[in-house]
Amino acid sequence: MWRMSLCAGYRSVGCRIVGIKGLWGSRVVRTCSTPAIPAGRITALQAVDLWTNHFVERGVMEPDHSSLHILAYLLGAKTINSLERGKLSEFLSPEKTEQMWRLCSRRLSRMPVQYVIEEWDFRDLTLKMRPPVFIPRPETEELVELVLTDVDMRPGTGAGVDAPHTCLEVGCGSGAIALSLLKSLPQLKVIALDQSQDAVDLTGENALRLGLQDRLQVYHLDVIKDAETVLSLCRHVSTLVSNPPYLFSEDMDTLEPEIFRFEDHAALDGGIDGLKVIKQILTLAPQILSNHGRVYLEVDPRHPPLIRRWVEANVEEMRYVETRHDVSGRPRFCILRKEKSNKDHKLDLD
Amino acid sequence: MWRLPPPFLSCMCSTAGRVVWGAPRRVPALLRPLPPGLTCVFASGKKDVTDFPVLDEDELEEQFVRGSGPGGQATNKTSNCVVLKHIPSGTVVKCHQTRSVDINRKRAREIMREKLDVVYKGELSEVLVKKKEAELRKQDKRRKANDNLERKRLFREALAADPKPGSGAV
Repeated sequence: MWRMSLCAGYRSVGCRIVGIKGLWGSRVVRTCSTPAIPAGRITALQAVDLWTNHFVERGVMEPDHSSLHILAYLLGAKTINSLERGKLSEFLSPEKTEQMWRLCSRRLSRMPVQYVIEEWDFRDLTLKMRPPVFIPRPETEELVELVLTDVDMRPGTGAGVDAPHTCLEVGCGSGAIALSLLKSLPQLKVIALDQSQDAVDLTGENALRLGLQDRLQVYHLDVIKDAETVLSLCRHVSTLVSNPPYLFSEDMDTLEPEIFRFEDHAALDGGIDGLKVIKQILTLAPQILSNHGRVYLEVDPRHPPLIRRWVEANVEEMRYVETRHDVSGRPRFCILRKEKSNKDHKLDLD
Repeated sequence: MWRLPPPFLSCMCSTAGRVVWGAPRRVPALLRPLPPGLTCVFASGKKDVTDFPVLDEDELEEQFVRGSGPGGQATNKTSNCVVLKHIPSGTVVKCHQTRSVDINRKRAREIMREKLDVVYKGELSEVLVKKKEAELRKQDKRRKANDNLERKRLFREALAADPKPGSGAV
């Protein structure tokens, strides 16, 4: 049993206890699989220190953030700073200690923190997370901001005055984009698709938890394999938004273990040039969108010029509007617009 | 121009919250401290309206740890501390209040506006004005409480000197 001193300055270095003689005798080991739960009580801060050091020893990324996020969650807070000052110096109950050990051990296997605590925040929403459904990235918060900003600028686009407008999201994952838009735009309706049943289920769950299920429809559909069904469901959509799988297949192997081992590869791998799903979305877009309807995509930084060229050559009715950058300054978002040519106006009542 | 009339200011604020941040560019500072002697125009009569300065994104530099790799889907990091720097004044704000980068960025800007208000308006800044008002209210309360005690003391003394009011002269 691994006993710990309860003095405030205690720091562990894995299972090699420095400076304590004679306590362990022949039982000192160089590395352990998991630190045993201490026999005596420990404070929250001591638990964080202990696990941070252990994560460092085992090469787990973001060792300090990991322990802090897990501890905050256990103490009922979103972040450490929202805890009362004295909380960190308080002793953890046996139950909380056991929970801390259980959750941190999962993190040892490189499980992402978001899956360990089974939740994460996206803009002002807290969403349930569950492997292997893709975890929302911070860049995608900017994608939502882009769509919302544009909605304000565009005349009569679901800002309340006109009839409710519909948005289609391709690849909804945990529901982050769809639910953010629904929350911010009370008049909006959203159709969300995902090729993963797990994602469809999780989006539905999050919608219910947030009370946004009434204006949302979620379908288990693959935009490539089930194109006909998608087209039959989606007509006269004013906005098409997507964070589609956009990684290049060759880059999949260099992904960090957190992503490679736990997240759905189908949500990441966009084919040889990362454009497989993007191209399909843009091919279908003219039939899905009403005239002047817009597409908002999150993409790989190499994509924008490739997409522009490809669309100009292959999709007559889609105009490339602009590229926007993320906060790190990388080209990250593509905006396109449906522009029907004059001759089509006579043939179609749209 | 540093200060805009209140209605325009509130309109600017709601737009500023929706602007998509591009890579900040450096342009000459548009914000200047008020010339000495010129008083600020506050929204009169409205206790809760705070006239913090409007931020110019071109004067801000933002640091957010996303690594040197491609970011996006290729990275999953949970650190979301935002560091915002106001270039002309050198004011730095750090925010990691929430688990959302987007919210932290917005909060960092709110905090920056408060800080810049103090930096540029000094004595006249919103924060200091409110502090002074709170202090004055406290002093006022104390004075009234003391007055009350004094009045009660005098009343008791009067009673002691004349226990049966109306019983005739002592």
